[in-house]
Amino acid sequence: MTNLEAKKYMSPLQLAIVVFVTCVGGQIMLSPRELLESAGQSAWLAIIIGGVAFYVSVCLMLKLGKEYPDETIVDYAPKIFGRWGGGLVIGWFNALFFLQIIEIFYGVGKIITFYMFDRTPPEVVILSLLVVCTYCALQEWGTILRIQQILFFVAYSMLIIVWMTSLLNLQLENLLPLWPRDTKLVISAGFSTWPMYSGYECVLLLLPMVYRHASLSKLVKTMGGAFGCLTLIFLLVIIIIIGVLTVDHGKSMPYPALTVIRSVELPGTFIERLENYLLLAWIPIVFDTLAAMMFFMGQVCMRQYRQVDHRPWVLLWVPIIYVSSLLLDDQQLYNTVNKYTLWAGLSFSFGVMPLSLLVSWWQKWRARKDGG
Amino acid sequence: MVVKKEFLACSMLLFLCMLTAGCWDRRELQERNFVLAVAIDMADAGCQPGVKAGQVPGVNRTETFFQPHGAKRYRLSLQLLKLQADGESKDNTKTYVISNTGESMLEMIRDMLGQSSKSLWFEHLQVIIISEAVLKQTGLSEVLDFFIRDSEIRSRVKLYVTSGQARPFLEYTPPSKEIGGMYLADISRLHTRNIHVAGARTDLGFTSQYLDNNADPVLPRIELADKIVKLGGIAVFKKDQFVGYADEYAVAGMKMIAGTEKSAIVTIPCPDDPEHQVVFELYRHDTRLQPHVDGDNIYFTLDINMYGNIGELQEDNKAQNTMDPQYLRKLEVAFADEIKRTVFYAQQVLQKQMRVDGVGTFARKMRAYEPDVWEKVKDQWDETYARIPLIVSVNVYIENVGSHQ
Repeated sequence: MTNLEAKKYMSPLQLAIVVFVTCVGGQIMLSPRELLESAGQSAWLAIIIGGVAFYVSVCLMLKLGKEYPDETIVDYAPKIFGRWGGGLVIGWFNALFFLQIIEIFYGVGKIITFYMFDRTPPEVVILSLLVVCTYCALQEWGTILRIQQILFFVAYSMLIIVWMTSLLNLQLENLLPLWPRDTKLVISAGFSTWPMYSGYECVLLLLPMVYRHASLSKLVKTMGGAFGCLTLIFLLVIIIIIGVLTVDHGKSMPYPALTVIRSVELPGTFIERLENYLLLAWIPIVFDTLAAMMFFMGQVCMRQYRQVDHRPWVLLWVPIIYVSSLLLDDQQLYNTVNKYTLWAGLSFSFGVMPLSLLVSWWQKWRARKDGG
Repeated sequence: MVVKKEFLACSMLLFLCMLTAGCWDRRELQERNFVLAVAIDMADAGCQPGVKAGQVPGVNRTETFFQPHGAKRYRLSLQLLKLQADGESKDNTKTYVISNTGESMLEMIRDMLGQSSKSLWFEHLQVIIISEAVLKQTGLSEVLDFFIRDSEIRSRVKLYVTSGQARPFLEYTPPSKEIGGMYLADISRLHTRNIHVAGARTDLGFTSQYLDNNADPVLPRIELADKIVKLGGIAVFKKDQFVGYADEYAVAGMKMIAGTEKSAIVTIPCPDDPEHQVVFELYRHDTRLQPHVDGDNIYFTLDINMYGNIGELQEDNKAQNTMDPQYLRKLEVAFADEIKRTVFYAQQVLQKQMRVDGVGTFARKMRAYEPDVWEKVKDQWDETYARIPLIVSVNVYIENVGSHQ
């Protein structure tokens, strides 16, 4: 009997939803403080710059994918860079997901313990979430895609509704001055928004499922929509944080987004502790991001070692992810990992991808020349 | 084989139920002591900082503990809710108070568990009252740090300063028999209708925000005399250091400058009969405070347009007709002059005498609208601010005269 869950094709819109859902994960709660520190009053501009920059990177990825129809990065990276070079690129690609996953698990453990379950050790919170994410990552892509589509509508609408209640405390004057005094600083802060947008690299794995159904221009446009929505949701988060808390106040707290929602009072209603509602909406969002990333890691390993089942690889990664997340419970180590993850992500998007495309064009040009 | 699988599946489900039922972090309602209000005093009327625990006279043995570091500096009192099945105790009180002395707020609170059969729960804390004596000894940020840092405590907790002891407010039973902490918090909620109370932007969240922004917070002043609690006036701070009090008239002016009033009462002598008063009741306003830079000179303009009613006219209303547009115009001009006087009074008290930019109103405008100039003056803002002129323009529009001429 055919496995209906083993999905072979997707529409461009489905790809856009996957990219959106994979990108918006834990980092909407974890990253704002760093962004306020690096970009200050112009954090909103940094988010737009980041959105445009990473969209350009995705367009390069789409172009590269089109050069190798029916193949993922695991298949064509060795063709471009040779066996060892290709292996390095694949390892780099998988390391990005791994580093993001452990940082998100660690951050989620901290937040849930601090704001929701103060008696539960973070190790238990991380383990519980890991079990659920692993169960999801062990499914076929069709199941994961369906979960992502459902959560795209359910969890995000709940998250946005709860978040919008903080507009009650917004003071527009806190957002001024809008324009930066130091443009260079804002541009560099724009690139430092990579942790918020990261996850878009999954197109390098998923493109073979889409490309036969859509032209490159259609894919570029759909991805533009996904990045537009991503930028909008990040802007909504950061503008409200600055408008409610001010930059100086926001950067003095570890999770300013949660402080913003904790300040909301709805007099005359029985609703209080709104941060719990926000966290309840956020947990499924984190779950689908992590589950998708774990699935991608399993897929990369499966393809790399020419196997047909990704599940043993997912299970193999589970203890490594768990232990690594717990090891991050050292602020200095966390900051170091955070810094190297950012550099690894940026150099992959703006170093490896353009280089891959150039080498691939050069190889094809040479092949044509030799053939001609 | 099928039966075996079904049995296995059922066993798995039952096992999952064991794992998922209940909650690790559950705390039953009756297992908590709800803290509704906090009072912070000096440890003893005669106690000065630096005096060691054993040397403090008049500190009750049950309200102290061996303290390896620091002094018996503060007396922290907590108002706790009585959770009773019949709703009220025999003495008609719904709350009771426990105290402790020490230096660290958290250490005192944890030691207070020795006086409590249940854990202390700060999630529903409504108000923190700080004695002036404490603020004369130490900075506001030091006193509030625990309350800002703790995850249980909400941002919208009200903060008050009193010139006397803070603990009696916690022992106070409102005549309405409302719960003490709730009552104390709720009296400032009416600040939108009471121009004498600085209720906007003076809670824990905003105060923490001003401290982080290096701005000057202000807190409502609360007093208790003859079993009556009264909120009015403000305690003024320079950064986190207590400077003094400003009266209700200055609060009114400060709110008019910041445009935080929702309603206000403006009283003037009747233009034709100064022995009597006429009252303007504001119900809508458009206030714009704007910074201007002219070379090296900085000045602010304040444009106020107020719309409201004649709320009260003590003059003989047969002699004056409030339906007469000319008379109304005369009143509008007189009210505008009074509002200007109120604003200038606040400016005189806060800017000239205390040299305090209350809740950073002027600094925020400079930073928002003149960012380049702000970068130049922000380090000397205290000195610059004290010299900045304020040009005030007020228009009053009487839109209704009430239900009688």
